[in-house]
Amino acid sequence: MNSPIIGARAAQFKNYGIAFVITAAIFATALYASNYFNDRRIAEIRTTQDNISIDILSLETQFELLAEHSCKDISENSVLSKEIRPLADRLSYLENQTSVDEEELLRLKRYYSLLQIKDLLLMKKVASKCKLKSVFILYFYSNEGDCKDCENQGYVLTALSEKYPQLRIYSFDYNLDLSALQTLLSISDVENKLPALSINDKIYYGFKGVDDIEKILPQLATLDKTATSTKSSSR
Amino acid sequence: MFGDGVVYTLLFISLYFEVFLLVTFLEKRAGRTATVPVKNPSSKLPSVCIVVPCFNEENTLALTMQSIFALRYPRDLLETIIVDDGSTDGTLAVAKKFERNGVRVLQKENGGKFTALNLALENSDAEIIGCLDADSTVGENALRRAVAVFENPDIAAVTPGVHVRKPKTALQHIQNAEYALSVFNRFMFAALGSVFITPGAFSIYRAKTIRDLGGWRHGHSTEDMELALRMQENGHKIANAPTAAVFTAAPRTIAGLFHQRVRWTYGFLRNLSDYKFMFANRAYGNLGLFILPFALISIGTGIYFFMRVLWYGFENIYDLIARIEITGIAPHPSFDLFYFNTSAMLMISIVTIALVLALISAGSWLGTGRRMPPVGTPLFILLYGLLVPLWISTALFRAVFKTGVRWR
Repeated sequence: MNSPIIGARAAQFKNYGIAFVITAAIFATALYASNYFNDRRIAEIRTTQDNISIDILSLETQFELLAEHSCKDISENSVLSKEIRPLADRLSYLENQTSVDEEELLRLKRYYSLLQIKDLLLMKKVASKCKLKSVFILYFYSNEGDCKDCENQGYVLTALSEKYPQLRIYSFDYNLDLSALQTLLSISDVENKLPALSINDKIYYGFKGVDDIEKILPQLATLDKTATSTKSSSR
Repeated sequence: MFGDGVVYTLLFISLYFEVFLLVTFLEKRAGRTATVPVKNPSSKLPSVCIVVPCFNEENTLALTMQSIFALRYPRDLLETIIVDDGSTDGTLAVAKKFERNGVRVLQKENGGKFTALNLALENSDAEIIGCLDADSTVGENALRRAVAVFENPDIAAVTPGVHVRKPKTALQHIQNAEYALSVFNRFMFAALGSVFITPGAFSIYRAKTIRDLGGWRHGHSTEDMELALRMQENGHKIANAPTAAVFTAAPRTIAGLFHQRVRWTYGFLRNLSDYKFMFANRAYGNLGLFILPFALISIGTGIYFFMRVLWYGFENIYDLIARIEITGIAPHPSFDLFYFNTSAMLMISIVTIALVLALISAGSWLGTGRRMPPVGTPLFILLYGLLVPLWISTALFRAVFKTGVRWR
């Protein structure tokens, strides 16, 4: 490459065209690849939800089969405790992605909310029948820009669920078009003053910190110990 | 969404520019025999005058002169003129020592580099005139390689391959990678007939052309850019000899680099303003339709991406602090593959960076024959984009208000 080059100044429209086609192809490939990976994520979530659905059905059946017998065979944590939080985080992550099929995502959110309601009802039944010290928190939020504290409330609940793994937190998009959810809102008397928490069937409006919730639920500390002892005894 | 649209548009333009250069490079390489002038060893070598303009260069001048003395060029055809542009240190005394080697020393009141070059032009009869900054040294074969280009009578100037001289600090290594990229860009701009800077470090000119054009001008403290644009305006061809190696002292500190680049960018913007009639003007071919508009867009792109990174960076840090304050717990990073970023924006950015790496490697190969990019390349890719907006925004502000810039 010792020889210098001097080229013609005249615009080389052929090269402009070739470069445009190559650049457009790179863009198209990147967009296609991004969509492909997002589709894979949606498929993964759908599979998880299907699995949860099967688990719920299985537990319902198990509960009915064993209703006349001992509660010891019904594991309190067999369904959502391990899978529900990652699922919520994953849906939340996809909501922030630009190249996700919004209709598909909405369908997944509705399915997810329905599974949560089913789990809530089942777990309440199990807790009542088996006299378990379960604590349920229902969290209602909006992500339509009309709830400035919802993001922080979400952080608090994430922190609480990490601190108390036995705690059952169910989060619902207040504006989601799902009849079962609207019925839940109606029977729980939840108003559109978000964020809202339903703790032991009592509604709390506005932001609540970790300390506030721990004051409302002093049994949380016991719950934590129970969780530890349950794990120990199961070994 | 609007922000994403702007990012995608700017990414497309940046990628398009790189792809265009690469496509043209590959095409020129494939058919280079048609465009490269054939070196004729029997042809008569022209007389050459190397001008070394100095202002307070007592510490670096000797090294520069030694490299000139080592040039492989017939002594009877090589004239060297040191112009002391009103130095206030011992530059003149150092220069005088070289008179015994046949070097001519001219002294004048301080008036700027362009006045020193014009004085040498008036005092020389050489066919070819070159400038070598007193903070640079030149490779022993550089002049032969550059002069060979003038066998083509249409060529009025030739630019060299500029490298950082003995990079030591991290900042100098970063600049060395940047210079390798510049070697490629300069080579391609020449191939497109679109060179718009003839760097002070050893650009060589046909003396008659410079005289016909009226010599050097102030050019907003970037006389090398002004002259190149004036040559383009008048239809002169500027070639590039990437293996005509010249080594320049790069700033060691951020402050020094900032000062140098503010001057360069300020001069670029002011000269672009003076020569704005070239923009989107088909009469100036690739230069008017592509190179100059892109050079201007790249300034806006640099500022926009910098502001965006700052904005989102601060927003994320603010959110993180707020989250820790609210919950008392720092969120732990997730290593779940589900959250692996596969956005189109990231993929395109990676391709753009990979192409920059390819262009740097190509520049390194053109200039030094080595295929490996300089060691400072990773740092250049990581940090340079954060440094550039510092001087771009300052230069833009100063250019808008026409504040002028100092050399030092």
